[in-house]
Amino acid sequence: MNKQTKVWLVISIALSLLVLGSACGGGSTNKETNTPGTTADANATPYSGPTGTISGVISYNGTPPAPKKIDTTADPVCGQKNPNLTTDDTMVTNGKLANTFVYIKEGTVEGGKKVGDYSWPVPPTPIKLDQNGCHYAPHVLGIMVNQKISITNSDATQHNIHPTPKLNTEWNQTQANGAPPIEKTFGRAEVLIPVKCNQHPWMKAYIGVMKHPLYAVSAADGTFTIPNVPVGKYTVVAWREGQTPEEQPMEVTVTANGAAKADFAFPKAGAATSSTKPSLQMMPAIEFPMLGKH
Amino acid sequence: MNRGLNRFAIFVACATFFLIIAGALVTSNDAGLATPDWPLSNGQVFPKMVGNLFWEHGHRMVATTVGILTIVLTIFIFLKEKRSWVQKLGVFALLAVVAQGLLGGLTVKLMLPLAVSTAHATLAQLFFCTTVSLAVFTSRSWIEAKPLTEEKGNVPLRYLCTGALVTIFLQLILGATLRHSATWDRHLPVELILAHIGGAVAVTLMLGAASLSVLRRHPEMRFLTRPAIIALTLLAIQLCLGIAAYMTRLASPGDPQPLNPMIAITVAHVACGALVFVSTIVLTLRTYRVLPANEKSFLQDYRIGQDLHVNPE
Repeated sequence: MNKQTKVWLVISIALSLLVLGSACGGGSTNKETNTPGTTADANATPYSGPTGTISGVISYNGTPPAPKKIDTTADPVCGQKNPNLTTDDTMVTNGKLANTFVYIKEGTVEGGKKVGDYSWPVPPTPIKLDQNGCHYAPHVLGIMVNQKISITNSDATQHNIHPTPKLNTEWNQTQANGAPPIEKTFGRAEVLIPVKCNQHPWMKAYIGVMKHPLYAVSAADGTFTIPNVPVGKYTVVAWREGQTPEEQPMEVTVTANGAAKADFAFPKAGAATSSTKPSLQMMPAIEFPMLGKH
Repeated sequence: MNRGLNRFAIFVACATFFLIIAGALVTSNDAGLATPDWPLSNGQVFPKMVGNLFWEHGHRMVATTVGILTIVLTIFIFLKEKRSWVQKLGVFALLAVVAQGLLGGLTVKLMLPLAVSTAHATLAQLFFCTTVSLAVFTSRSWIEAKPLTEEKGNVPLRYLCTGALVTIFLQLILGATLRHSATWDRHLPVELILAHIGGAVAVTLMLGAASLSVLRRHPEMRFLTRPAIIALTLLAIQLCLGIAAYMTRLASPGDPQPLNPMIAITVAHVACGALVFVSTIVLTLRTYRVLPANEKSFLQDYRIGQDLHVNPE
């Protein structure tokens, strides 16, 4: 055996061991997971003072893009169950926008402590995410750090659930039809984690993971309510999906038993709708104006 | 020269080309993670081929077939081929296809890291280059070709062709990096697009210079002019496909799913890129075969030719 053959043999064996090692390894684990049942450090105390609510309406500026028809021929089960499947990234009814994630980003509770300085009990009830008609329901959802998410498959076909977080652990798991729910947790706050199905690439959902329960998702009529907000001053942010997710902040003051208003409108006037990363669409020298999005 | 061996080597090269197309379809359909496990697909040898699993598992089946064909080719070479360096190339092809399979598994298990996916796509081109080279080295035209006299007064064609080949290979790596840097629903990084465009200019200049020099200096030598014309023609098609791929890919983030013509054009761009690469490999190998750069190598090449005639088959 000459030297070159030996080198290649060593490379092949090393690669084999690496692949077999990763293939035999267990599923992904959330190494960043905190102690179950709490989202703050051990010294934090729960808030027990007066509270109010934040509510509002999300409006859509201008004419919303028409939903696009999805071609489900690659998996006949999808077409049979959901023959009129369309995109749901911009769901507008009477000028009101659904699926906007509204949350308290930061703020000071009356008394001077930050909202993040309190501990917030994690709800024992899992949040449900269902795959039904090759479509995620709900499309946008909120969950607390360490709260269980229960993912079910109501379709007669298999899906795979693949969250692609930046701060949490990425995982990808197949769920056959009739398989038991997949239960997972996310150990770090992250707004928002895209979820996709690699078998049906049109399937997308977003999960907002928060350290506190002070968040809501706008309903079909664009309304939302965040209850039990401690009295204080906050920065409330409304997040909407897109090529570049758009975020709008608003300063809100909550009084005891008061109902603070926080209305938002998307897209913000003059806001760029394309990627914040420069794309060649922005480069006049090689711009193709005929290439409007279809 | 064994005609059966040559035909089988051509068959393996064609199967490898089909495999590259199958792999490109996986990327363009965003099907790389349609199953999270490897080597099985969703724990099965033959899963139900629906949705994107059709592309991913289909790619695995074609790859397995090419792997088996490569094993057979290597055995065939050892049985019928007396040139030790061809035997070594056969072993290299076998090791490359094994490494390629492992890289494919690794990229699935690690959830498509850019470096591993790019290495997988690059090794695919190198493996294709190897199978095509085996087809060239076992061909009658290669064995019966006689060296010409030394080239004088110009940059030797073999160096021009080698330069073009290296440039194309670097461009293929850039293209693979660009392709795997963002899925269909995200915009590609501008810096990589610009680098790939710059690479296209460099390839056009290098391959254009090499091919036109071949046509100008040796217009009567079909052994050289044919791959030069094919390479030039494919380059022209590839440039058009590149522009079309850019345009369709630019619009794809607004689509609800990967759609034609983006899928068809980007896959055609990958396939045509592989053909430009191998046609330049054939051209380069042939220039080394018949155009020695100096007297020493001329005599060496002539001796190889004599050996082949003494030990046919």
